[in-house]
Amino acid sequence: MSEADKMDVIIIGAGPAGIACAYILAQAGKEVLVIERAETPGAKNVTGGRLYTYALEMVDKGLTEEAVLERKITHEQIMILSQDKAISIDYHDPSFNREGQVPQSYSILRAQFDEWFAAKAEEIGAMVACGVKVDDLIEKDGKIIGVVAGEDEMYADVVIAADGVNSFMAQKAGLIKDISAHQVGVGIKEVIELPPDTIQERFNLKPDEGAARMILGCTEGIHGGGFLYTNRESISLGCVLMPEEAAAHGKSVHEIFQDLKMHPAIYPLIAGGESIEYGAHLVSEEGYRGIPQKIYREGFLMIGDAAGFVINTGYSIRGIDLAIVSGVAAARAVLNTSASDQVGPAYLQELKNIELLPTMQAVDGYADLLAIPRIYSSYPRIAVGVFERLFTVNGQKPNSLIKNTKEVIKSNGVSMWQLFKDVLRGYKSI
Amino acid sequence: MSKIIACYKWVADEADIRINPDQSVDITKAKGKISDYDKNAIEAAVEAAGKLGGQAVTLTFGNAGAKPSIKDALSRGPEEAYWVKAAEADQADGAVTARALAAAIQKIGDSSLVICAEGASDTYARQIAPRIGAILNLPVISSVIIMTFEGNSLVATRKLEDSLETVKVELPAVVAVLPEANNPPLPGLKAVMAAGKKPLTEYSAADLGIDFKPRNQVVAVKGYVMNRKNIIFDAGDSVSRVKELAAALRKEGVL
Amino acid sequence: MSGIYVYSDRLEIAAELIGFAKSGGQAAYALCFSQAEADQLASRGADKVIYLKGDSPLPENYGKALADYLKEQDAELLVVGATARGRDMAARVAGYLDCGMVSDVAALDYSNGQLNTERIIYGGAVVQSETISGFCVVTVAGGKFSPVSGQAEIKTVAVQADPRVTLVETAPITKEGVDLKQAASVVCVGLGLEKEADLKMARDLADVLNAELGCTRGISEERHWLPVEQYIGISGAVIKPQLYISMGVSGQIQHIFGVRDAQFIVAIDSNEKAPIFKFADYGIVGDMYEIIPLLTETLKA
Ligand SMILES: Cc1cc2nc3c(=O)[nH]c(=O)nc-3n(C[C@H](O)[C@H](O)[C@H](O)COP(=O)(O)OP(=O)(O)OC[C@H]3O[C@@H](n4cnc5c(N)ncnc54)[C@H](O)[C@@H]3O)c2cc1C
Ligand SMILES: Cc1cc2nc3c(=O)[nH]c(=O)nc-3n(C[C@H](O)[C@H](O)[C@H](O)COP(=O)(O)OP(=O)(O)OC[C@H]3O[C@@H](n4cnc5c(N)ncnc54)[C@H](O)[C@@H]3O)c2cc1C
Ligand SMILES: Nc1ncnc2c1ncn2[C@@H]1O[C@H](COP(=O)(O)O)[C@@H](O)[C@H]1O
Repeated sequence: MSEADKMDVIIIGAGPAGIACAYILAQAGKEVLVIERAETPGAKNVTGGRLYTYALEMVDKGLTEEAVLERKITHEQIMILSQDKAISIDYHDPSFNREGQVPQSYSILRAQFDEWFAAKAEEIGAMVACGVKVDDLIEKDGKIIGVVAGEDEMYADVVIAADGVNSFMAQKAGLIKDISAHQVGVGIKEVIELPPDTIQERFNLKPDEGAARMILGCTEGIHGGGFLYTNRESISLGCVLMPEEAAAHGKSVHEIFQDLKMHPAIYPLIAGGESIEYGAHLVSEEGYRGIPQKIYREGFLMIGDAAGFVINTGYSIRGIDLAIVSGVAAARAVLNTSASDQVGPAYLQELKNIELLPTMQAVDGYADLLAIPRIYSSYPRIAVGVFERLFTVNGQKPNSLIKNTKEVIKSNGVSMWQLFKDVLRGYKSI
Repeated sequence: MSKIIACYKWVADEADIRINPDQSVDITKAKGKISDYDKNAIEAAVEAAGKLGGQAVTLTFGNAGAKPSIKDALSRGPEEAYWVKAAEADQADGAVTARALAAAIQKIGDSSLVICAEGASDTYARQIAPRIGAILNLPVISSVIIMTFEGNSLVATRKLEDSLETVKVELPAVVAVLPEANNPPLPGLKAVMAAGKKPLTEYSAADLGIDFKPRNQVVAVKGYVMNRKNIIFDAGDSVSRVKELAAALRKEGVL
Repeated sequence: MSGIYVYSDRLEIAAELIGFAKSGGQAAYALCFSQAEADQLASRGADKVIYLKGDSPLPENYGKALADYLKEQDAELLVVGATARGRDMAARVAGYLDCGMVSDVAALDYSNGQLNTERIIYGGAVVQSETISGFCVVTVAGGKFSPVSGQAEIKTVAVQADPRVTLVETAPITKEGVDLKQAASVVCVGLGLEKEADLKMARDLADVLNAELGCTRGISEERHWLPVEQYIGISGAVIKPQLYISMGVSGQIQHIFGVRDAQFIVAIDSNEKAPIFKFADYGIVGDMYEIIPLLTETLKA
C-alpha cells in the first residue's frame, strides 16, 4: 500500500449525508475522498424536494444563503382526496420565515442541490470522484480498511457508507440484510415545468414563496401518500406506496400515480406543464425501528438512508435533513476520537447529542398510526363525506353535524368502536 | 517530450434540448458533455502515446462552462489539459474553431500528432481536423480506424465508403479518427482521483491572438417538430395490446 | 474563371453537382485529379473540366493545390460531394483559404454571390440556416440534384501534389447489406436485443411483413451483428418506408433522423419513457421478447 492509496476517510455516496460528512472532515483538514457512482452528484437521486435548513446551518453557518435552493416554504398544506372530491388545509406561518432569519425549509431539486453541495465540499478540500461505483469493502483482522472499485483499491482509517437506502455497503459489512418489501415504500416523482407566474397564481404565492403539500387518500387504500412541492419553475409531484400492497391491489405504482395526476383537484395545478423528469426510488418506511441493530463496525460507519434515518409521519417525509445531521455526527466522531475502535461508539453518542436518535424515537409511534389501513381509504372517504354533507345546500332540512358524521362513518363500513380504537391508537402513538 | 494532442469539444447534450411548440430551441437546460466521439479521440491519443512514446494531452476551445470537462477528459488518461477559454467559442464557426485550436497547438509547442474525432456531436461538421492541418500546413489523415507506428511514421487505415485505404506519413500530422477506432473504457477510481491533480493550462484569446471573426453567419435556428399520432397501447395484457396494434395497422392499410 | 466549381470523387455525384451549378445559370467547372475522371466528366454538361495533374493517387494530396488554383481563378463557390474524401478535401480548401464552409447541407441556394444553406445540427433535433458571402465551400450528399449532359473541354493544369502522405494499399469493402432505401417496410432492432441469435425473432416478424431488417448504429458498428449498410440514422441510411417497426430502440435523435419520413412509425420498447414513443404513431410498452413473437403470430393469422 503506497501513500497515494491511503486516505483518512473514504465516503461512499455523494448524497446529502456523504457530502455533509466530507465537508466537515475536509474543513478540519482531513484527507477525505467521496466516491459517487453517478456521473454528477445528484444525477440519479430521487427525492420529494424539501430541505429543512437547520441541518445545513449545522454543517456551516450561512451555508443556506449560498445553497442552490428553490422556494422557501411558507405554506404547509394537507390535502385529503376521495373519488373526485378534495379537502385542502393550508397552514401559513410567517414565524417560519421571519425577516433576518434563515427560513425553516426550502423546496429543492436534488440534481442541482447535490451538485452545488459537492462542489462546495470540493472547494473546501474534499475529493469527489464521480462516475465510479464501489463494488466491495476490504477487511483485515475484523476491521474495514478500504474499498474496491473496479480494478482499484483504496484504503482509509474510516470507511463511511452513505450509499442510501438498502445500503449495499452495509450488506457487505454484514450489518444489514437485503431488505424485504414490507420495510420499504416505492417513491415515484415527476417534475413538471411551469412558468413561475403560473405557479404563484395557482398556489397563491409570492415570487420567492413556496408550498409543500402532503396528499392523503390518493393511494386507493394502499399504505402511502402523495406529495407536492413548488419549485421556482416547476412542481415536484409524487407519491410513496408499499409495493407489496400495490401488487396485491392489481394496479402498478405507476398507474396509481397517473390517477393521482389526473385527479380533478390535482390536474388543474399541473395543467399545461411539461414533464421534465421522472424517477422512482425506495424509501425506508419503518422509522426508528427500521434502524439496523448496529450502524458501525471498526473502521466503518453508516450514515443517512444507509442507516435508515428517515422519518415518515404521513404529513411529511424527512430524510435529507437527517442524512446531513448524521453526516455531521459521523464527522464529529471521527475528528474527536483517536482510538479506531472507539469511533463507532462515539458516533452513536453524537447521534444522541445532536438529537437525531431522540427525534426519531419521539415520532416512532407514527409507524403504528400509519399502519392502520383505514387511514388510506375509509377515513379520507369519511372526511370528504362529512364535508360533502356540510356544504350541500339543496333546500331540504339538513341533519345535525353529529348525525351526519355518524351516518357517513357507518356508510363507509367503519364501526364507532373501530373508530374509537383507531383514535386511541393514534393518540397513544403520537 | 513530444506531445500527442487530443482535441475535444464540450457540447450541450442533444437529448436535453427542448423544442418549443413555436419551433424555437431551448438549450439552456441542456447538460454539457464531452462530445461523444471525442472520447474516441482522447483514447486514441492515450493509445498512440503508449505505442509511439510521448505525452498525451487534451485541448479544448470552450467558454467558462467547459470547466467540468477538464477533469472528465483527464480521467480518461491524458497527462495534461489545455483550455482555450473564451466566450466566443459559443458562436464560433469552423473557421474560428480551427484558428483557435491551431493557435493553441502552436503555443503548446512540440507535438507529434493532433487527433480529432470524426465530427462533434452538435455540429457534426467534420471540418476541424483538415482545417487545422491546412492552417498549420501539416499532413492530414481523416476517417482513421487503425493507427500503427513505424519509427517516426504513422501507418493509418482509413475507412471510406467502399474501401479500406492504408496510408503512411511521417509525423507530425493531424488525424481524425472514426468511433470504430477504439472502445474508450470508463475511467476507474484512481484515474478519476488522479485527474484532479494533473496540470491545466488556460489560454485566453489575448495569449493566442486569435481572430474571432466568423465566416458563416447563422440566420436562423429552428427545432425540428415531428407530428405523429402517439397512440401507445399500455393497458391490458400483452395479447390484447398486440391485437389492438394489429387492428390499428390494418385500419391504416399498411399491412 | 469566376464561377461555381464542383468536385466529387464519385462520378454520379459530380454530375449532379454540375446540374446544380447550371440550374442557377452560372458557369460550372468540374474538378478532377485523374485523366480517367476527366474523360468521364467531359460529357456531363460542365462548362469546362479541370484536371489538376500531379503525381499522387490520393485526391486529398491536392488540397493545397486546389485551394491555390481556386484562389487564382477567383472562384465564387466550391461545391463538393459529401463523401469521406469530399468532406476532407472541402475542409482543407476552407482551411487554406480561411473561408466559410457549410457541411452536409440539407438545402442550399446560391444567388447574387451569397450562399444560403440549411443543415441539421444536434443529431437532427435542430435545423440551422446560415449565409455566407464571398468565396466559400459547401458539401452536399448525392441524390439532391438532377444531372445534365453536354460536352466540355478538358483543361489540364499541372500542379504539385503534397508528397507527405503516401498510399500503402487499398482494399475494397464488400457490401453485404440490403438497400433499405427501397424497402416498403422495415423492422429495426436496437441494443435492447440481448444476443445475436435473437435476430431470428426480428427476421420472423420481417418475413411476415415482407419487410427488410434494419438496425441502430450500435448493432452494426459495435456488435457487428448486421452489416453497416443496415444501420439507420444520420450517419447511416435515411429511409422512407411506409412502415417502420422498432424493437429495443430507445429513439435517440441521431437514429430517428433516418426514419422521419416513414409514413408510419411503430415502436416496441420496455421503457415507457423511451424517447421513441414521442416519435411514434403507434407503440406498445412491453418486453419485446414477449410482444414480438405475439405480433408475428397475430399478423400471420
Ligand atoms: C419519492 C421520495 C420523496 C422524498 N421526499 C423527501 C423530502 O421531501 N424531504 C426529505 O427530507 N426527504 C425526502 N425523501 C428522503 C430523502 O430523499 C433521503 O432520505 C435522502 O436522499 C437520503 O440521503 P443520503 O445521502 O443518505 O442518500 P442518497 O441521497 O440516496 O444518496 C446516496 C448516494 O450514494 C450513491 N451510491 C450508492 N451506491 C453506491 C456505490 N456502490 N458506489 C458509489 N456510490 C454509490 C448514489 O448514487 C447516491 O448518490 C424522499 C425520498 C423519496 C424516494
Ligand atoms: C454524431 C453521432 C451520430 C450518430 N449516428 C447514429 C446513426 O446514424 N444511427 C444510429 O442508430 N445511432 C447513431 N448514433 C448513436 C445514437 O446516439 C444512439 O446511441 C443509438 O441510436 C442508440 O441505439 P439503441 O436505441 O439501439 O440503443 P439504446 O439507446 O441502448 O436503447 C435500447 C433500448 O432497448 C430497450 N430495451 C431493452 N430491453 C428490452 C426488451 N427486453 N424489450 C423491449 N425493449 C427493450 C431499452 O428500454 C432502450 O430503450 C449517433 C451518435 C452520435 C453522437
Ligand atoms: N471547440 C472545440 N475544441 C476542441 N476540439 C474541437 C472543437 N470543435 C471541434 N473540435 C474537434 O474537431 C472534431 C470535429 O468537429 P466538427 O468539425 O465541428 O464536427 C471534434 O470531434 C473535435 O475533436
